[in-house]
Amino acid sequence: MFTMLNPRKFYRAVGRKKFLDFFVLTVFLLFFYGPLTNLLMLAFAEIYQYPNLIPQKFGFKWWEFVLSQKTMMSAVGQSFMFAIVTTVFSLLICLPAAYGLARYKFPGRRLVMFSFMLSNAFPKIGLYTSIGIMYYKLNLMGTFLGVVLIHMINTMMFMVWIPCGAFSSVHRQQEEAARDVGAGPFLTFCKVTLPMAVPGIAVACIYTFLGSMDEAQGTLLVGVPQYQTMPVMMYTVISDYNVMAAAVYALAMVIPTIVLLVLLRRYVGPEAIASGFQMK
Amino acid sequence: MSDILQNHAKRKKRNQLLSAYALVLPAFIVVLLIVAYPIVNSVIRSFTVRGQEGFTLANYVYFFTEPRELANILYTLFVVVVTSVLSTVFAYALALYLRFVKSRVSLLIGRLYLIPRFIPGMVAIYAVIVTIRDTGVISRLALLLFGVEFQPALMFNTAGLLTMNLWFNIPFSAMLISAALAGIPDSMIESARDVGAGRLCVFRTMIVPMSIKDVMVAATFVFMGNVGGFTTPYLIMGSVQPKMLGISLFDQFAKYADMERAAAVSVIMFLICSVSAVVYIYSNLKERAWEKQ
Repeated sequence: MFTMLNPRKFYRAVGRKKFLDFFVLTVFLLFFYGPLTNLLMLAFAEIYQYPNLIPQKFGFKWWEFVLSQKTMMSAVGQSFMFAIVTTVFSLLICLPAAYGLARYKFPGRRLVMFSFMLSNAFPKIGLYTSIGIMYYKLNLMGTFLGVVLIHMINTMMFMVWIPCGAFSSVHRQQEEAARDVGAGPFLTFCKVTLPMAVPGIAVACIYTFLGSMDEAQGTLLVGVPQYQTMPVMMYTVISDYNVMAAAVYALAMVIPTIVLLVLLRRYVGPEAIASGFQMK
Repeated sequence: MSDILQNHAKRKKRNQLLSAYALVLPAFIVVLLIVAYPIVNSVIRSFTVRGQEGFTLANYVYFFTEPRELANILYTLFVVVVTSVLSTVFAYALALYLRFVKSRVSLLIGRLYLIPRFIPGMVAIYAVIVTIRDTGVISRLALLLFGVEFQPALMFNTAGLLTMNLWFNIPFSAMLISAALAGIPDSMIESARDVGAGRLCVFRTMIVPMSIKDVMVAATFVFMGNVGGFTTPYLIMGSVQPKMLGISLFDQFAKYADMERAAAVSVIMFLICSVSAVVYIYSNLKERAWEKQ
């Protein structure tokens, strides 16, 4: 059995192809999933002293601790609130634009299209500080609207580009057929175009939601101390709390991501997930 | 009669234009207000000094002559170049493996490698910190398996920062490169193999030329994305000198409340990004020139 631990013998025993598979899988899992798995384990630990690799005692003590902390729990609520409001706001503003860009050719169309990429061209932290200065003048510092706008900077591109692609793949003839039998433009949009574009819009919504849940720097600069979302709390949690409590908190942050990813896989498939990133 | 028809068509076209603008305008205005306006403002502010009238280059002179600030700029360039080269190399290898090795393991990795992109950044950073710090998993493992007291010394160290950057960027680049490799038809490679081309020959003369453009695009994206990095260096490097420009900017803003210098740092970062954009455009142009022949 232990002769297998010698890499050369293992290589001879299984052959080149299997060895390559084994090697890639090991390195991949250790590098990308090792740290995450470790953190998952620590979230259920009670005592984890150096030099033990496996915690001495497992339990839910630190879950109780986190759940009893008022500031931590309010951050959870705020994160969800901002994510929902940001998603709804972006939907209301960006869907019409996406439809307009998909259906009409007009002078300046390319300019508008690329303006949504502008926030990626300039360093984010520089953009946030500049917005911070603007907020001071407009008294938007530490306000709800201010934080929502900061979150929208990162999500508008998704909310315009992905639904735009979805709308353009709906054939114009299908809309015209509905118009011919007497449906008005709004009814046509609601009954024909929108339902066919729903998968794309759903992907965009989930990106927006997750992007908002993940946003840390901008909220740190313009929202604190009035508003502290989960990622912003993480800055404090990492430096001030012990590793078990921090792991619990980190896991709580990942749960919404996992739930949404499962939904996303079910409803739109992995190709759509990847397509959203190719526009980045 | 034809006049009426023409008028009607004109009016219809005008109405269409109007409704297009009406649909697009709200989103466009929001982008102008919260992205374009602050950027323009920032650029203008970077050429001013508080309490003085008129435009001045003083902020830029400061950042390019003060040894400490110059070291920050060079350090940022170093970290970003190494990050984009390493993550592109590893991502290329991963993408090649996913594309050309057909096995259950490669299918499994193909399913798993995108998930890290969705893990909240702060969580990923913390998970890696807990692994690499001196009392972390690597050190504990070394003691358990080999009985050696080993301290990786990766925290507050450039190697740790690079490790974290690779964690974030390899999956992203691999995804972009995979999309390019998926476009290379199997039949083409098989026919080359049939006429006796070796693996290395196929790789060098077919796969590389057909994917190099997307590899460059991936490298450029990684480069641009990391110039303005803040959270990763903030949590892994702390205030070790020299600093990444993102930290330097945050210090100017939060510690010294010097908005003009903070603006200048962001313009310098933007200029560094533009250099990579030029490389990107140049590599595209070269492709065009080659196509003309």
